[in-house]
Amino acid sequence: MLTFVVRRLLLAIPVLLGVVFVVMLTIDLLPGDAVTLMLGEHATKDAVAKLREHLGLDKPFAVRYLDYVARVARGDLGRSIQQNRPVAAELADAWPATLELTVAALLIAAAFGIAAGVASAVWPNSLFDALARLGSLFGLSMPIFWTGLVLIVIFSLWLNWLPVGGAGSLSHLVLPAVTLALPSVAMLARMTRSAVLDVLREDYVRTARAKGVGEILVLARHALRNAFIPIVTLLGLQSGQLMGGAVLTETVFAWPGLGRLMVKAIFARDYVLLQGAVLVFALAFVIINLLVDLSYGLLDPRVARQG
Amino acid sequence: MRMRSRLLPGLLVLGLAVASIVPSADAQKRGGTLTIVRPTDPVSLDPNLETTAPGAWVYFNMLEGLLTLDDKMQVKPLLATSYEVMSPTKVRFKLRPNVKFHDGTPFNAAAVKFTFDRALRGTPPARWASLAGSLDGAEVVDDLTVDVVTKEPYGPILRTLAMYCMGIVSPTAVQKQGADFSRAPVGTGPFKFVEWKTNTHVIIERNNDYWGDKALLDRVIFKVVPEEGARMIALQTGDADMVLFPSPAQLPALRKDSKFTVHETTGIRVVFAGFHAGMPPLDDVRVRQALLHAVDRKAILDNIMEGSAGPARGVLAPGVFGYKDMQLDKLYPFDRAKAKALLTQAGWTPGPDGIMVKGGQRLSLSWLAARGRYPKDGEITEAIQAMFKDVGVEAKVQVLEWAAVFQQVRANPFNHHMFTLGWVTSNADADYSLYALFHSKQVPPTGWNTSRYANPRVDTLVEQARRSLNQTEREKLYGEVQDILAKEMVWIPVYTTKEIIVTRSSVKGFHIHPVEYNLALWKTSVEK
Repeated sequence: MLTFVVRRLLLAIPVLLGVVFVVMLTIDLLPGDAVTLMLGEHATKDAVAKLREHLGLDKPFAVRYLDYVARVARGDLGRSIQQNRPVAAELADAWPATLELTVAALLIAAAFGIAAGVASAVWPNSLFDALARLGSLFGLSMPIFWTGLVLIVIFSLWLNWLPVGGAGSLSHLVLPAVTLALPSVAMLARMTRSAVLDVLREDYVRTARAKGVGEILVLARHALRNAFIPIVTLLGLQSGQLMGGAVLTETVFAWPGLGRLMVKAIFARDYVLLQGAVLVFALAFVIINLLVDLSYGLLDPRVARQG
Repeated sequence: MRMRSRLLPGLLVLGLAVASIVPSADAQKRGGTLTIVRPTDPVSLDPNLETTAPGAWVYFNMLEGLLTLDDKMQVKPLLATSYEVMSPTKVRFKLRPNVKFHDGTPFNAAAVKFTFDRALRGTPPARWASLAGSLDGAEVVDDLTVDVVTKEPYGPILRTLAMYCMGIVSPTAVQKQGADFSRAPVGTGPFKFVEWKTNTHVIIERNNDYWGDKALLDRVIFKVVPEEGARMIALQTGDADMVLFPSPAQLPALRKDSKFTVHETTGIRVVFAGFHAGMPPLDDVRVRQALLHAVDRKAILDNIMEGSAGPARGVLAPGVFGYKDMQLDKLYPFDRAKAKALLTQAGWTPGPDGIMVKGGQRLSLSWLAARGRYPKDGEITEAIQAMFKDVGVEAKVQVLEWAAVFQQVRANPFNHHMFTLGWVTSNADADYSLYALFHSKQVPPTGWNTSRYANPRVDTLVEQARRSLNQTEREKLYGEVQDILAKEMVWIPVYTTKEIIVTRSSVKGFHIHPVEYNLALWKTSVEK
């Protein structure tokens, strides 16, 4: 078990190196660079050259890549090009907000998605099932920035129940978390429905019912536990989705998280800051995937035995 | 060498008296918090690292320069009380006594020298160093007297020192705080720093030890709301009292609503369609003049800008020192017949497809433009393209992302006949534009003469005006430059930007400034 975890974490290193390489190359290939954007239209040639040199942007790509990797290996994420502030400090300001938002959205998605899915599976083709499927279609099709604005208009402008944006209290969290969760609720509901339906058709469920186990126990002990493996896999994937969606949600709701930080870094061509943020995201993905894999062992003893 | 008697009649006193508050009809209350929403967080609150609006809006209320520009665009004393021109490269300032920085340390000549040294000799130099022209630094004469020195005679020095980013900082605080100074600056202004939560808000509060009239508001909160729709909703729900960068589409409705006040004024940026005057057929002045006659600039203002921009009366905006109305509407009224006549004079005749031809060549112009860099830049380019077609001129427009357009217009050679650009006279002095844009030696990548305009007389005039410290003489020289430019037109000036800010009507005493960065809040109050 421990060797498994350690091996997986070591495997993350080449993944992160690759991520940094791709991000850095993409920024490098984009037209426009950080210095001309920082100094604006009126900058003199001399000023541009001096600042480029100061920031090390005059060095070739390979040198900059190796410099960066070497620094990160020593635990130094560098200073942001624009703000001249340690990237670690910028990230420390931003990641708790994104974590809070994603976890809240994940909880909403899991609670409502799984509940709706199970209900649909237990009463297939009922009115509830039809409504849930219609709702899922809606949740999957609407872009986050649109649902976000609609929710703001309804709950902030018309009803005046919740704040327009920003962070601070629980009431600030409601709208962005719900907006972010909606597509995942829809996805999980559909996935849970089909997974539970499949399991309910299995022989062992019929056996359980035949020996007189109550319907609730059948669902909880036999059906759900087996249906959970695809659901947990999807939850893992969804948490990745949620982090991606956070970029849009954070913008609509003025949520001070990593997504906004990344957008800012991209527009400013601030590759040092962007890489810091991407590294955090990449690391989060690696950890989530690891947790999903570990959870299989808890859910299915056969996986655990194979080690 | 003292040259003041020759350059300026005696000692020029800018005015010592601090005007006392005149009680207005609706007497304003002290106290309250003003909440402002705007799209982005500052890069920094230190002018050395930040010259763009998100940071300037905040630090303009905390840091003060020697001079400032009032909302009529006149130079006014701030931390200096008077000045005297000592030589063409040296101006002596008397400093305001008994002024303290927010950290309690005294403001003096050493602080001025420190601020300029830090900005101009730091590695790298301050972001505003490029805006400051020949400014070389300051020399301490005595505790309250300082000489500002330029590398060469530099006429725009006063307006340069009055720029929003020239605030004097506390040397003690810079040394104590190190890199953290950029997130918690210490100046002498009417507000002082409280807190900055990245991507959430910046809070400043009234400086109760301010040397002049103290601010009315207790606090100002600058919130970040990136989404335009959400910003406007925040204003409507009362979550915000003031919106910077309001949605243009909602302005007509807001103007009619008594719950809100729309503050607007003409800005200092001119957006224009530029000609490459070195590239045939645009090297023929008659062709350029014909193209000016071909464009209905009023229709563009009315139908595309819809009240969100003002007319461009020349290559400069009216608030800029040295501006002269170039009488474009009189010289180049919208007149297709006149346009065609000028083209005929230049030897062009209508071809088989309606496009003019001369010696087998069609009158076809290639045009480089970005979309979204300046308000409606894409739309005005397309409108002019259609208007050209009506007089038999074809324009082939290439729309690229701003960063890519920027790269091309900064390059030499430039391979398009036309380009859509905007130019802001950052220090509000004509030198900044007329020199960089029209001096024949200022062709990119050195300067911004993207038109490749060359006229020896203009070169002489702008050089002379740059070296003179006599402002009356300078104004006359710039007037002549603009008269020449009006005859030779290398631009179609399209509009002058407007600065627009919307507040709830409970906000009193706010005056919008033609310079976007100069968001002065010390006379503002909120009634709640």
